Amino acid sequence: MTLTATRPAARAGRAAAPRRPARGRARKWALYALLSVMSLLTLGPFIAMIIVALSPRGAPTVPVQWPDALTFDNITQILGASGFIEWTLNSLIYSVVSVVIILLTASMAGYAFAKKRFPGRDAMLWTFIATMMVPFQATLIPLYVLVSDLGGADTFWGLIVPTLANSQAVFLMRQFIMGLPDELFDAAKVDGASELRVYWTIVVPLTKPILATLGVFVFLWHWNDFLWPLVISQSDATRTLTVGLTVLKTEELQWATLMSSAAVSAVPCLVVFFLLQRYLVNSIAMTGLK
Amino acid sequence: MRHRLRDPITGLLFVLPMLVLFLMFRIFPTLGAAGMSLTNWNIGGEWSFTGADNYVRLVNDPNFWSSLRVTLVYTAIYVPLVVLVSLGTALLLNAVVFLRGLFRGILFLPYVTSFVFAGIIWRWIYEIDGLLNGLLAKIDIGTVAFMERADLVLPALAVVSCWKGFGYSMLILLAGLKAIPGTYLEAATVDGASAWQRFRSITLPLLKPALFFVLVIETISSFQVFDTIYVMTGGGPAKASYTLIYGIFERGFRFWEFGYAATWGMVLFAVVLVVALIQRRIVGKEDT
Repeated sequence: MTLTATRPAARAGRAAAPRRPARGRARKWALYALLSVMSLLTLGPFIAMIIVALSPRGAPTVPVQWPDALTFDNITQILGASGFIEWTLNSLIYSVVSVVIILLTASMAGYAFAKKRFPGRDAMLWTFIATMMVPFQATLIPLYVLVSDLGGADTFWGLIVPTLANSQAVFLMRQFIMGLPDELFDAAKVDGASELRVYWTIVVPLTKPILATLGVFVFLWHWNDFLWPLVISQSDATRTLTVGLTVLKTEELQWATLMSSAAVSAVPCLVVFFLLQRYLVNSIAMTGLK
Repeated sequence: MRHRLRDPITGLLFVLPMLVLFLMFRIFPTLGAAGMSLTNWNIGGEWSFTGADNYVRLVNDPNFWSSLRVTLVYTAIYVPLVVLVSLGTALLLNAVVFLRGLFRGILFLPYVTSFVFAGIIWRWIYEIDGLLNGLLAKIDIGTVAFMERADLVLPALAVVSCWKGFGYSMLILLAGLKAIPGTYLEAATVDGASAWQRFRSITLPLLKPALFFVLVIETISSFQVFDTIYVMTGGGPAKASYTLIYGIFERGFRFWEFGYAATWGMVLFAVVLVVALIQRRIVGKEDT
């Protein structure tokens, strides 16, 4: 198994005779064959999407036949259409503003929950955690009524602000900050540092790795979010890319155009993936962030 | 000891922004959902208290029962599928060294995309003249209208969610596998245990906590499937993919019956709560 591959030294140290190499090699080939099949099934839809996106409109393409020539016309046409650029900018605003505010408010709350004593602290924390049990969709209707009564329908604040109440983020920050030694904070206080200064010069720098992880996740959550933007954005002014794609899908009959749009919409996620893959992978294993 | 006095005030001030957000946009709507389900709230904002009327209407609503059945059937297809795929790929990744990072990256890739993105691609894959039927034609199997057949639409949707989401569970299980001490398996090998025996009596029992976590997370996420259904089927054909969430959405934002839609939401809440309580029960037992 793994052991024979990863720990030859450990095995050599034992009296156990090495297994027949032919069988081990066949096993290895089988493992890699299976992994390749799974990878192909995973990548297949991406590859097919890119081929269709790059095929001339209306021309035969996969699965019937390979396209005769590839073209970027679909992509340039999409980027030239007014709605698409607007949706992309809206998605960017929705994601980036949310990342900044959630990192700030969640790390402040996490710091207070981890290192401060104040009345009602534990009750508050447990209420925060308990709200994770309530599915967002169950509160969708009252949330929509509340935000639209406050005049938030089809506005950026109406889109963004309700999604900032994120208990996962608060809990994660609290867990991380609890692990920081108390002496650091005491020393700063003895030196007469103000509370804001302690937060800004101790908490923020020391939580950078977890802030980065959280930031990546919040970005992906918001970039890929659909149901809330779907109900609260009612025009191109605040419509995000995911909602825009579904609008396009009802209007557009050309798969080449739809596939180009889908492909472009995923570019930021793929960039994040290629730059930070190792980071994402490790943080899921360690924190269970989803 | 100046900071003894200073602590409570700054503590509260630091929590305040998040607390306000929570009270307004999480707690208030949660209580509001319960309250609203007892009214006939409509789009104009007029409402009157109607007691249990919405709940009576709900139990007499064939759409509701059908949506509950669809949701549970979907869960029954999706959860075993995604657990099997993520466990299988995690075991494969754990068994190789060369190129492991590359394979792990490829298998995790769809996780960072959106369900809307996945829905659009897979809608095309399932089309009559789409990728899958093109491949089926090459091996002389007739065309299958995946999105128009009531018996195939839920498995087809489960495959899409699995493709998009299994990378997460795979990583959780892979971390679980890596935490199993190598010496256990080594000792079993020396004692002559077969690969299957090692898996059954060492890997599986030690992987149970991670497996259980995955099971609960995936079950809850299967209740919440919406985006792919909105993009791919619109609840069809003939309500064969009309789930609870789709019901909340349609009641609320197509028929504008907010009170009644909130009642559907309460059922979703109850279903998720039951799963969470069962989880606590089982985990609690394991701990003692």
